[in-house]
Amino acid sequence: MLKLKNYTVDEIFSDVTLTFEAGKTYVIMGSNGVGKSTLIHSLMGKPGLPEVSGSAVFLGSDINTLETDQRARLGMFVGFQAPTSIPGLSNFQFIKQATGIKVTEIKDNLTKFKDIAGTLGLPNDWDKRNLNTDASGGEKKKNELIQMLMMDTKLAMLDEPDSGLDVDGIKALTSELKAWRTEHNTLIVVTHYDKLITGLEPDAVIVLQKDGALVGDQSLADKIFNDGFEGV
Amino acid sequence: MMGSKVYKSLFGQQLLEPSASKEEFRSLNDYFEYVTSNKFIDDLPNAYWSSILPEFKKTYEHNLLELKEDGLPTKRSEQFNFANIHKLYGIDILDYRDNTGWMEIERFSALANKKRSIVLNDSRIFTSEDFNKRSPFNVQILDSINTNKNRQSEYVKLLQQQDNFSKLSYALSPFPNVIIFPNGSKDTFNKNPVTVSYRNSSEEPVLECNTTIFDVQYNAKVHLNEDIKTSAGQMNYSMYILRENSELVIERTTNDYGGWNIFDSVFICHPGSKLTIKFTNTGSQYTQENFYIDSSYKTSVNIVGRNQIYKGNEYHQYVYQKSNDPDNYSSIDIKNVGKEYSSTSFIGRYDVGPLSTDFDGTMNNQNLMLDKNVTMHTRPVLDIHTKEIKCQHGCTVSNINEDHMYYLQTKGIDKVTASEMLIESFLC
Repeated sequence: MLKLKNYTVDEIFSDVTLTFEAGKTYVIMGSNGVGKSTLIHSLMGKPGLPEVSGSAVFLGSDINTLETDQRARLGMFVGFQAPTSIPGLSNFQFIKQATGIKVTEIKDNLTKFKDIAGTLGLPNDWDKRNLNTDASGGEKKKNELIQMLMMDTKLAMLDEPDSGLDVDGIKALTSELKAWRTEHNTLIVVTHYDKLITGLEPDAVIVLQKDGALVGDQSLADKIFNDGFEGV
Repeated sequence: MMGSKVYKSLFGQQLLEPSASKEEFRSLNDYFEYVTSNKFIDDLPNAYWSSILPEFKKTYEHNLLELKEDGLPTKRSEQFNFANIHKLYGIDILDYRDNTGWMEIERFSALANKKRSIVLNDSRIFTSEDFNKRSPFNVQILDSINTNKNRQSEYVKLLQQQDNFSKLSYALSPFPNVIIFPNGSKDTFNKNPVTVSYRNSSEEPVLECNTTIFDVQYNAKVHLNEDIKTSAGQMNYSMYILRENSELVIERTTNDYGGWNIFDSVFICHPGSKLTIKFTNTGSQYTQENFYIDSSYKTSVNIVGRNQIYKGNEYHQYVYQKSNDPDNYSSIDIKNVGKEYSSTSFIGRYDVGPLSTDFDGTMNNQNLMLDKNVTMHTRPVLDIHTKEIKCQHGCTVSNINEDHMYYLQTKGIDKVTASEMLIESFLC
């Protein structure tokens, strides 16, 4: 799905070589400031970041030369840690633009949207609400999840999707993510929340470091919870 | 008050009095002083307008061409702005634009087979057939040329000379067209809005002016759809009188048709009246759109402007509301989006008098720059002379938010579409 070789973001981290396969779930951990969010956003081509080097190949395409929207249309999705609010743009209107829904498909997609929103415990009028405006932190995170599920996402990279969610929200999030993850797609979650990690049953736990990345199974996460990042 | 001092215009041959040396006139301002001086006030006979009519247009254009020949500044670098009226005289009012006569067609197409339609151009008024009929509670038109001058003069007295462009409009178009919505019409013209079209009529490179009074009488409710398309230069001075407990809604659209446009709107709000203005503007080589509002007691004013200023265009606005008496409400919400090389300015001013207690005013002007070469200015002025009021303002100038743009792009929306979506959400 995604292959990184000597992937480096100047002054943040260097020489990350990783392979993310289809049908697998990955958890990324790392100490504060090591560059977990930077890794995700650099893979999406965020402007203004330090220079990126090394190779990043997604489904056979070298994505380093692509614009952000081109990467997204290939199937890459990033779930923001702090989603942006845009007043004047409704949640469903935004989904319509992002997914290119045709007029004849609006009704079915609106039903799907409302079903997901209902499952996540969002208000009935969520489709009409302005994008992430007057929403709590948890509601914004749920909105990211709706977008991911509505779009043709092949690789989901979620940056601390648990922050701001209440207990029921975490359960719903875990359940939705597990249901979404099939043999055809890949899930990458940046988190330090043990219950989410346990619930997701990741195939690999990755610890991002300044000069590379450690890869292990869930026991690596357990070790970090016991000994801290210094212990690995 | 203007009174009758400014009663004559540039239209007459008297302008170019044989004894007056052309060298004395170096600017339009000089001409203004000249034709409005007492010397020329009493010269003209009552039948002046009817006698001059056949030669009206010819004389008018001739005089304006003389203006240019006699030293009217024409450099673009001397462009005027509303802060200094003397700079007004710097614009090339005779800037010739090749056109194909569509304006004539446009003018009449706005009336043909239509109802409740009015066209204003070059001091003249044209109405759809239904407005020509005399019937109870129908709109009454006091034509600038053929009307009863005694009745007209009552309205002329109302025209106030502001410290703005209106005095120039007025000099060029001294007799107003008066459109009266009688109190007996109740909400007829609210349920069935009236279209008012401002058009250039001539293919000649002349400055055209309209001075118009809209009189919304007691308890009447009126909705005006104003459509402004100027292909040459046009100055409009419109006064809207909102009598007691009347309501006026104006939806105004101003599009760039190659000309320039100055529109002064004066609103006299009597007790209990409600005014709503919704407008859009694209700017032009020079556009000035000013609102002057005089509020008495328990009036309500709502102004919503959503302007997308086209590439290279200018749009400038002054909104001034004077609140004289208690319990007035005002909401001003104007947003401008400036495209490449465009230029905008906004000055909003609340002038709240000592007796205007419990004034409740909100003034917002937000500006979005789509390019680094856009120039945008905004200035709120709150001139408060009493204590017991609620008043707030928020004026901003910003660029497209890069985080918003990135967020939309991460969801697969390309840059152009994302930009359009952000503009749309900004103007929402």
